[in-house]
Formats: sequence, structure tokens, C-alpha cells
Amino acid sequence: MLRFLISLLIGLMIGLALGLYLGWVPFPVEYVNSPAAALDQSYKDDYTVMIANAWLQDRDTELARSRLRLLEVENIPQHVQDVTERYITGSVFIDEIPALVALSDALGRLTPIMLPYRQAEGTP
Amino acid sequence: MTHTNHHNKRALHSRQRNRPLWRRLSWSALGVGMMIGIATGLYGAWVVNPVVEVNTEPWQLAEPIRQEYMAAIALSFGHNSDLTKALDRLLVTSPHRVDPFQDLADTACELTQTGYIATNGGLKAVRSMKTLYQLQGRAGCADTFIQLALQPTALVQIELPTPTALPLATKTPTPPPLVLPTSTPFTFVVPTAESMSQFVLVNVSTYCNSAQSGWIEVYVQGVNGEGIPGQRVRVRWATGEDTFYSGLKPEKGWAYADFTMTLGVAYTLEMPERSEPSTQQLVATPCTTEQGTRAITSYRAIYRLDG
Repeated sequence: MLRFLISLLIGLMIGLALGLYLGWVPFPVEYVNSPAAALDQSYKDDYTVMIANAWLQDRDTELARSRLRLLEVENIPQHVQDVTERYITGSVFIDEIPALVALSDALGRLTPIMLPYRQAEGTP
Repeated sequence: MTHTNHHNKRALHSRQRNRPLWRRLSWSALGVGMMIGIATGLYGAWVVNPVVEVNTEPWQLAEPIRQEYMAAIALSFGHNSDLTKALDRLLVTSPHRVDPFQDLADTACELTQTGYIATNGGLKAVRSMKTLYQLQGRAGCADTFIQLALQPTALVQIELPTPTALPLATKTPTPPPLVLPTSTPFTFVVPTAESMSQFVLVNVSTYCNSAQSGWIEVYVQGVNGEGIPGQRVRVRWATGEDTFYSGLKPEKGWAYADFTMTLGVAYTLEMPERSEPSTQQLVATPCTTEQGTRAITSYRAIYRLDG
């Protein structure tokens, strides 16, 4: 009986460790049906860039605003300003900056750091 | 004899003690223990203490949000024509799909069937999606669905008179105003369809059916009778109006649209900016079916593209 119990206990411990490893590492929980608010920041930024590009085509600020509501950010102009300034200070994806600056400007958030990009593109 | 038995037991115990641990285990108990342990471990890892959701990728988004994200990719492509970037972005929206462009076409198709294109922004987005996937040789139901909706509208100039308000009434009678209403024309530019009568109401028939009581069934057809989806149809009555679209019930054909009337109300039918309002009023009157049951008269109207 003792032999059985010891074997069971050892099996339990090995199985528990193996189960936790499998559940956390090779087969972790995959979330689906996530809200846009849970998106990784880089994808939120990229979505904002895409909407800025769309805005350059139709200049429809209200439409851009409604598209950005998808991200569930509290203050859309502030969000666009933040993304724009982050792109400028990070000097990444420089070709995307003028579109962001233009949209930020349309939303009334043109800050001094954006001015060179606005002038460079000649945006209104 | 007793001495021999005692000796044998001691020898057996001695052999067991000298055996290695793995030979002293019960394999069946070990197996049962491992199975219980794995199950418990997985439960703990998936339910009790799952991996925390961070760095969510677009493919993990709820379907309507993922569709909006894909529309944004196409809109952005419409601006910069950067196919590499569009493909990179599409791949993160559907990493498990073989063909991201066909996935885009399928998504555009789904959007058209949900009434997404009823708004100007939605129509622009689906048009961009269509451009992107068609450039890659893919096709989807959105191709036909928004075909006519995307026809460019012409700008025409309409001469409108300037409305001049009459003087307000006063309590004391006054002589007729010296300033009479004038009609100074000025130019007012409004977008309109190419013609007010692109579609003609070619036939209106009635029927009485208790399963379809008080329906207005509208069929929007091309010159050769083929169904045209996505066309706006409007009904007006004394106190209001409603708009509906063809093709939203594909099982009844792309031409089909319907509306349910209220008993006793008279309706007129038109395709806004694409047809003249119907001269015949469609009145929701009581009727008796062939089976003898009571129902409301239904109408079947056919609009055909004026070739």
C-alpha cells in the first residue's frame, strides 16, 4: 500500500509540473475576441497611422475621429498627438510622420515639435 | 521448517531493499498519478492562473474590430500604394489563413452584407479593400455588390431662387409691404446622380398571402433583368419615410428588398435620385387569401435600369 501511495505521489508531482509547463509554455491560453483597447501599443500606433493616411485622402476629420473611436481611447486628439510626437521623437517611420502631423493639426493639436514636418509637407 | 520460512522472508526483504528505487515503484500508480497531475497542471495553467493577455495582435481582435482594422489597411494602401506594407499588415490580421488577400476579399464581402456600406465612410473603406484585392487578382461578392453604388456622380448646377422672407405679421393692419419677395437667382452646386430616372418602375402587382402580409417586395434589375444589389429604395407615407436596400437577403436574390406596411397606410415608392417617385400609391388594405384567411394586401414592384 505504501509502495502504491508513494508511486501515486511521485506521479502526481511529475504530472503537475508537466501540465503547468505545457499550459504555460507550448500551449498557453490564446485570447480571441479581444477589444481593440487590448491591442499592443505598436498596433494601436499603426492603426492611427493608417487612419491618418485615409484622412489625407478625404480630409474628413469627423470620419477619422469615428474610425479612431475603435481604439477606445478617452481623448482622440490627445492620442493622435501622443502617437505623432512619439514617432517624431523616436525618429521611426519618418515617412509616416507628415500624415500624422496633418491629422493632429486637423484635430487642433499642432505642437511646435510637429511644425517642421507640417512645413515640409506643405499641409494646410 | 519454521526456520526455513523465516530465513526466506529475511532474504526477500533484503532483496527488496537492495533493488533500485524505480524497480520498487508501482507503475500503474505512477501512471495514474501522472495523469491526474497533468490534468491538474493544465487546469491551473489554463483556468486558475492563465497567461496574462498582453501584446494582443490584430488577429486576436473580435471579428467586427478585425474587419475595421483590415479596412484601415486598405484605406492606407489607397493613399501610399505601398503593397509590401499592406501585405505585412494583412498578415498580422490573419496569420492562420493561407491567402491574406482572399481573406480581405471575403471580409469586404461580409461587410457589404452587414449594411456597412450604407455610410459614406464604409463605402469608401470597402472600395479601398476592393481595389487592393482586385490588384492581386482576387474576387469577392463585394465586386458586384457595390458596382453601381460606386458609379461617379455628376455635378450639375441648379438655379435656385433666393428665398426672401415676408415681413412678420403685426397686430395693426399695415399697407402691403413695399419690398416684395424677389427671386434673385444664384448658383448652388449640389451633387446628384447622373439622371433622375436611371431606374423605371416597370411593374407593380398585388397579391394576398397570410405569410407575407402587407409586404412591399421590390426587385431592382439591370437592363437584362439581372439583380442589382446595394440599391437604395425609399418608401414615404403621410407621417414618415424609411429606406431599405436591395441584396440584403441574398437567398431571395440580389435584386430583392422588402418593407412591411401598416394596415390602412398609403405609401409611395422611389429609388432616391435614381427614379421618379411612384405615381401609384400602395395602400395597405385588408384582403382574403385563397385559403380564406385574412391578410393585408402585398405589392411586388419591379424597378429596371433604363437602357
